[in-house]
This record gives sequence, structure tokens and C-alpha cells, in this order.
Amino acid sequence: MAEQEFSHPLWDSFRQDLEAASDLDSLTEVRDKYLSRHRGLLALEMRNLGRLPAPERPRMGQLLNQLKDRVTEQLESRQAELKGALEQSRMTSERVDVTLPGYANPVGSVHPIHRLWREMADIFVRMGFEVVVGPEVETDYYSFEALNIPQGHPARDDQDTFYLDHDLLLRPHTSPVQIRTMEARRPPLRIVVPGRVYRRDSVDATHSPMFHQVEGLVVDEGITLGDLKGTLEAFFRELFHKEVEVRLRPSYFPFVEPGAEVDISCVFCGGSGCRVCKRSGWVEVLGAGMVHPRVFEMVGYDPERYTGFAWGMGIDRIALFKYQIDDIRLLFENDLRFLRQF
Amino acid sequence: MRISLNWLRKFVDIDILGIDPDEVARSLTMVGLAVELVEAVGRDTVLDLDITTNRPDCLNHLGVARELAARYRLKLRKPVTLPPPTDPGAAGRFPASIEIEAPADCPRYAGRVLTDVEIAESPDWLKGQLEAVGQRPINNVVDITNFILFELGQPLHAFDYQRLAEPRIVVRHARSGEGIRTLDGVVRTLDDTMLAICDAVEPVAVAGVMGGEESEISVDTRTILLESAFFNPASIRRTSKSLDLSTEASFRFERGADPEMPVQALNRACQMLQDIAGAKCATEVMDIYPGAFERRRLVLRHKRLVQVLGVDVDLADARDILQTLEFEPEPEGDTALSVNAPSFRSDIGVEDDLVEEVARHFGYDRIPSSYPRPFRAGLDSPTARHEQLIVDGMVQAGFSQAVNFSFSNVEREGMLLGKLPQGVRLANPLNDLETHLRTSLLSGLLDSVRRNLNFGVDDVRLFEMGTTYHPDTTAENGSTTEKPGLGFAALGRFYDPFWNVQGEELRFFHLKGLLDGVFAKLGFDFEYEPVDDVAFLHPGIAAAIMIEGRRVGLLGALHPRLQEEYKFSNRVFYGELDLEPIYSKPVPEPTFVSPGRFPSVARDISFILDKTVPYGRIVSLVQALKVSELRTFRLIDLYHGQSLPQDKISLTVRLTFEAPDRTLTQAEVAERCDVVVGSLKEQLGIVQR
Repeated sequence: MAEQEFSHPLWDSFRQDLEAASDLDSLTEVRDKYLSRHRGLLALEMRNLGRLPAPERPRMGQLLNQLKDRVTEQLESRQAELKGALEQSRMTSERVDVTLPGYANPVGSVHPIHRLWREMADIFVRMGFEVVVGPEVETDYYSFEALNIPQGHPARDDQDTFYLDHDLLLRPHTSPVQIRTMEARRPPLRIVVPGRVYRRDSVDATHSPMFHQVEGLVVDEGITLGDLKGTLEAFFRELFHKEVEVRLRPSYFPFVEPGAEVDISCVFCGGSGCRVCKRSGWVEVLGAGMVHPRVFEMVGYDPERYTGFAWGMGIDRIALFKYQIDDIRLLFENDLRFLRQF
Repeated sequence: MRISLNWLRKFVDIDILGIDPDEVARSLTMVGLAVELVEAVGRDTVLDLDITTNRPDCLNHLGVARELAARYRLKLRKPVTLPPPTDPGAAGRFPASIEIEAPADCPRYAGRVLTDVEIAESPDWLKGQLEAVGQRPINNVVDITNFILFELGQPLHAFDYQRLAEPRIVVRHARSGEGIRTLDGVVRTLDDTMLAICDAVEPVAVAGVMGGEESEISVDTRTILLESAFFNPASIRRTSKSLDLSTEASFRFERGADPEMPVQALNRACQMLQDIAGAKCATEVMDIYPGAFERRRLVLRHKRLVQVLGVDVDLADARDILQTLEFEPEPEGDTALSVNAPSFRSDIGVEDDLVEEVARHFGYDRIPSSYPRPFRAGLDSPTARHEQLIVDGMVQAGFSQAVNFSFSNVEREGMLLGKLPQGVRLANPLNDLETHLRTSLLSGLLDSVRRNLNFGVDDVRLFEMGTTYHPDTTAENGSTTEKPGLGFAALGRFYDPFWNVQGEELRFFHLKGLLDGVFAKLGFDFEYEPVDDVAFLHPGIAAAIMIEGRRVGLLGALHPRLQEEYKFSNRVFYGELDLEPIYSKPVPEPTFVSPGRFPSVARDISFILDKTVPYGRIVSLVQALKVSELRTFRLIDLYHGQSLPQDKISLTVRLTFEAPDRTLTQAEVAERCDVVVGSLKEQLGIVQR
């Protein structure tokens, strides 16, 4: 809009006053001076219109109205300007250095063994397994006899066991829960059993007298060694979020026949050999096999009708592998510098 | 077990296969003989095998060769073991006899006398062969017995004939207290469970374990009595254990040697003694074998192979495999094989053992993957939801999860708990410090706090979800109850100071608030009662955690006595909770009370009352009033000090009221507040300010 000038003394003085108003308060004073309904200079002029000669009145009336509109307009525009400047200076003064550290809330961490077990449990439950638990203080019967490891069996030497007395012991594996579950239920069964187990090993970088296992047991008609392989393949694929090869090697555990040691292809090098898998491309993860017919007989299952597979997997060992922890002792020292990384 | 590739070559034609030692190692591993190391030794290659306890037949070269032959369906070349004839000049000059008085523990004992033995160093090839498998050559006679052991798996023992009291071997149980100085120079006292090889007078060897020094072969030995026997594995095992003495011989006998091997091995040894040490056989082979071994007959059905393996293995291939493994398979109809378990395979007892034999050599890696048919959805453990809520809650509250061993030191626990706990004792603890199972999580957590401080971590919040162990004759196993618990320890600041914000030291009420928050999610609203008699807690800063009047846990500041004991310079807070009552209640489904469409009205009330009145009492009184539309009752200020008498405190509580259908009027709110104030005046003598 082209600047409209008025040849009126009020306009000139308003322009001067407006120029002088440097903040919102003085602007309000200017507004009152000119526009106040009763005392404002424009209102006074309006009231004085009557004293003018009649022919001049319309022209002067029109001029005053235009003047009022202009003053109002100028005041509003000036007000917006001043408000903007004020906000700007306030925001400038409130400016922060966003690179300063945030106020952190202390957050703890889940122990790697439990974290891994939660992951495993979720996978197994999705695969149709039921999670079952059992006691750590066990009898000789459930720990050995019922698992086809009679008194004097050399396999008892494989696991130097903690005893409470001649019959009670700290379970050296989670396998007793297989027996307890089979005694209490009929097939089909599909269970996993997590828990603490104990072997009389002194503590060093790779041994611990206490560690964690997860036992698996599947019993039904028509269960085969191929099913064991397929099940473990599916499990490890989920656990490592990638294709993992599963290799069964013949081995010996008295409660399975055929028995197998199970390796997985190293997830770090894809099987080509690296530091983690000691250049072999394979990592031994668990022992497994088809449930021994004598074990079935002892719990009253017909081994001709039912077959099944079982495994025992060290959670700690897989945690060491998965998170590339080089010393098992770190799992039990509760060093927060370690724990907070999980 | 070290196995020489050159030695294997004598029994199986490896070279025809054109495979390198690494491939041999891989093949053996894949049939179940795990090769841990492949090592070049001169022109030979030595494999280090980890043999499982069920396969004593593979603790020698012939056994390993048999497996390799079966893997490639090759022929096994067994060594010839004809008995060398008795020397006419020596015959009759060195008579001997053998008697077995304990046939159950010694089913077979064979022996032969050889004379004109020239004790000398062994020839280089023999020394080299022994050295390759890690044995130190001694002299030709001992070396030959060792050679037979590593070749055929049969332990032999040579007695100096002249040093036997009479040339009469008696295999009997030792008399209690009978002693023998064994070859390692140790005098050992035997008992009547131990089998001994005796001369006419006394033990000259601990059967199957170690010979005696008295009848040891020396440079002067000219005539020997060579023993080749089969002992009951359980007997040797017991003896070896109770003497704490394990030898190459006992290692094999206790796992099960081959009852059909003693004479063959003896013959081969005599032949070698004749060839290498100039020995002459002075007697015939004496073989005392009262009850001959019977091979176990088993049937392998093709159907079973398929049922267990899930793959259609050709019965003809199964037959080839079992043939090489010396099971003498014969067809039984069209769909089964009848076999005789070899004498060296005491591990074979049922049909599925044969399934494994076939599977091993068919190749586990040729078994295709499949999946068991589903039968129902999976199911997590009944306490999984609880556990996860507790763990997540504690982690959000800044705690890291600890895992401590289940072991404890009973004296240490006694010191902490103020009295010796009734603990479960281990019969064979690893060391003097971990003799029992823990009855509390306290010890492990305090040690963990201490360790972190030592590492320079000074804000410590740890929790453990762990089991404690308590003697209980009514428990299912007649011994021990295992209780799930939560323990937690904290020291340091509630939150850290930041660059422009002050930090705040942890206080009892922080922990109480954190705990309440965690367990509210599980549907619990704990009550707290003061306790001053917990040995490990500060008597003035300690509470029992209660659910419906029952004590389920403790929370408080560590007792100054223990602060000092552990040299904690900052106050440690500790709590523990029995999780059984927590687990016994299902995690509640959320239920909701409509938040209402009308604003709530708050009113603050300030009053003065006796210091001795616990706040909890005010809360329960107000709750009991069941004031309508009272939604919350909250303490917002607590003051005691100069402007008040010594024995008084001032409280301000904020009450909020909310009605579902309207905004409450000032008059309605005032009326309700008056009810509360009136009751507190009457019951507790409060004075409104």
C-alpha cells in the first residue's frame, strides 16, 4: 500500500510518538493518547467537528475517519513488530547447548544368562514346547539310575558330582526332569527344562562348579533323529537370526541311543574358520540323541510305540559364544562394568 | 588317546583311499571318535582321540582301524596270533600253575613262562612306535607289553619268575591289611574287596591296576611269567578308585576289555619276545577260563532303523557295515539281520545300539532334517510372567541382575544372620569356603557390592532372583526345600549429580518406593512394619514387608556392624523377598475404574500429632472410614522442629475427591474432610492447624 500522507497536525505528532515508542508499554500509552474513546485526541477532534462551518464538515469528517483507520493500522503493525522482537530476544536468551549431556536415568541390566534364557524360552514356546522346571537337590535315582547310568558306570566319572549324602546330590544335569515329567504324564510330550546344574570342577576360565542348562525332550509316535536335527536347526536359526548349519556327530550319553554331539556352523565366520571357532568353522553346543529304550521302559512308556529325542545344552556356554565372552568367571562375578553391557 | 597313522596302516589300507591325515581325522570324528588334534611326528602323523567311555575297544590301534575300515567299507587286516611252540630245551625246567579263587572278578587268566630273556634296549622301530603314541621306552620286555596294549588293547604284565615265592599264581581277593609295594614305589594297603595277583605267599600285583616292585623285571631277569587276563570292570574300577591309582591297564579294564583277547595277545607277545628278546617259551599257554564268554545275539529290523533314524537305510549296506565291525550279520527273513555282538563290544545290549552302529557308518550327516508334528501351542512356565515383571521392574529401577553361586560358607552366613543357619551341607565340597548351600541371598550380594567398590564402581544397585536351600524332611526328596527369592542391595546415589543439577543420596524411602512400584504391577500393595531384631539390618531403619499380615520379606539399611565388617563407607540398603507368595497369585489382568468426566477436587489438611504415631496407622484409619468419593490420600509434607514441641510432628495430607456424575461442591468436600479430621481427632488426638 502506498504511503498515505495526511496534512493534519495530529498525524505528524502521531508519527513522532510512534517512532518514540520503543516497547509495548509506551505503545499502549500512544494508543490511549490518540484512540481512547473519551480522552483520545482523535475523539476530541471528532467532537470539535460541529464548530466547523457546515460545508467543511463532511470533508473534515472523512479525513478524520481515514486518519483513525491509519493510526489504528500503524499501531497494530508496530505492536506486532515489538512483540516479535521481544519473543526473539527472550528465545535468544533461553538458548541451550544441546550437546551438553542429558540427565540420565539410571537403568539396570538383565544378566546375560537370563537374557539369553528369555530369548530361548520365547523361541521354544513359539515352537510348541512347554517350559518345565525341577529340583536342584536330586536323588541318585533321577540323576543316574533312571537315566541308564547304574552304580559303577564309567559315565559317572564324566561328571564329578556334589553329594549331600549317599543318595542325595546336586543334579549334574537337567535330565532328571525328563524322568520326573515322563513319570507324571503320557506322550505326546514336548518340554524344555532350564535350570542350575553342578559339577565338581574348580573355577577357571572355562569351568565353573555351577552353570545353567536347558534340557529338551520330545516324545511321540514317529519321532526320528532327523526330527532332532530339524528342530535344532529351527531353534538356532531363530537364536542367531541367520541360517545356521547343524552337524550331528556320534557320541555317547547313556540315556540316549543313538547319541550325538551337536555342532553348529560358526555364526561369526559362517564356517570358514575364525578365532571364535578356533579355526574349525564349527562350535560344539550340546549333547543329544534318541531317548534310550531302557529309559522309556523305566517310566513305563512302550519303546516300540513311542520314540523321542532329548538334548542338554549349556546356556552359559552359548552365552559365552554368542556374546564372545572369553572367561566364564565374568558371568558370576557381578561386576557392574560387565553387567551393564547387557 | 594317541593314535599313529602308520600303525593304523598295518591294519587298514588307508593309502588306497587317497585321503590326507586331516580327512582321516574328520572321518573318525564323524563316526564318533572325536579327533582333537592332528600332529606330524617325523614321517608319521599322530591323531589325538577323545574316546567316549562306552568304547574301550577303540583305546588301541586295531580298534580304531576297524572303525576306519567300516567307514570306507574296507577290509580289516587283523594281526596273526598263532602261539609260538614251546622250546624243547626249556620245556619242563620252569613249571608254573594258575589258580583263580575269585572267578567272578577274574573270569579269565592266561599265562606263559618264557626263559633266556635278554633284557635290553628295544629296537628303534619299536621305540619309535611307542614314542609316537607318547610312551617312554624302558626295556624290550616292558616295551613289548606296552606295544601289545596300544596295538590290541590287552594289558599284559611280566613277572620275574625267579622272584615269585613259588611258581604258582593265585588270583584271589586280598586279605584285609595285606600290603604291596607297587611299581611306583608306594606301599599300598589292600582290603578284601580288592583283587590281587598273588604268588604262593603274598600279593605280587594289584590285579589289573599295577604290578609289585618285588617281582619287577630287572636287568638280571632271565625268566618271566607273562600274564594276560580279563577282569571284571566293576572290580577294577572300585580298586582303582579306592587306591586313587589309575593306569593304562586299569583305564581299559574298568571300561571293559575283550575277554576273547588274552590268549591272542599273549601269543603275539611271546612271538615278539622270541624275535626281539631271544626268549624261549618254557611252558605251553596256560589259559584258565572257567565260563567261556557267550556273544550276545541281537536282531536288527529294517523297520526299526527307519523308525529311529527317519531315513530308509539299505539293509545290505547295514549288513556290510556290521560285517566290518565284526558283528557277523546274517539275514533274518527279508527285513532283518541277526547279529552276534563282538566280545570287545560290551556296550552293545539292545537293538537301538545296532541302529547307532549303522547310523554312525551310514553317516549322521546323510540323515535329512525333518520336523516333529505339532500337537499343541507352547507354554511358558507358570512363574515366567511374574519373573519377567520383577526383572523388568528392577532393571527399570536401575538394578542390574546378579548371579551368585548357590554355595555358602556357613560361618560367614552365621556371622551375617546373627546365628548359624540350618543349612544343607555338602558331603564333598570343592573347598573349605563353600561347604553348604546358601540359606540367604545376602552373603553373595554383599560380596558382589564389595567387589564392585574394589573395582571403583561406587554406585551399586544389584538384584538377584535366586534359590535358597533349606533342610526339610517333609520335602519331596526328604531333604531340602528350594525357595525362590529376590534379594537386592544398593549403595550410592538415587540419581547422579548432573552438570547443573544436584545429585541425591539413596534413602530407605527410595527403595521402598521402587519396590512398591515393581510389585504394584503384580497386584501387590505391601504393608511395612518396623523391625528392630534383624541381625543384619539397622534396628532403626528396617521394615518387615507384609502381605495380608504375613511377613514375606525385609527391607532396611545394613547394620552398622556389617557396614564396618565390609568397610562400606556409604550406607548399603538391602532387601529380600520370598517369591513363593508372589508366584502363588496369578499376575492380575488390568481392571479399570473410569477416570470420570468431571474434575477432581483436592483439599489439603495440616495437623499436629504425637511423633510416636506411625503414619501407617493414619492411613489404615482413613481407609477404614471408607469416605465416599475419596480417591487419593497422600502425604505432602512432614515437619518436626523448632516451632513444634519436641514430641510432636506436623503433617500435611492432600485428599482428592472425585464423583463419576458431577463436580463435587465445596460444601460436599468440606463435609467429607470433616469426617476424616473428626475421626483422626478422636482416635489419634490430632490438632488441626
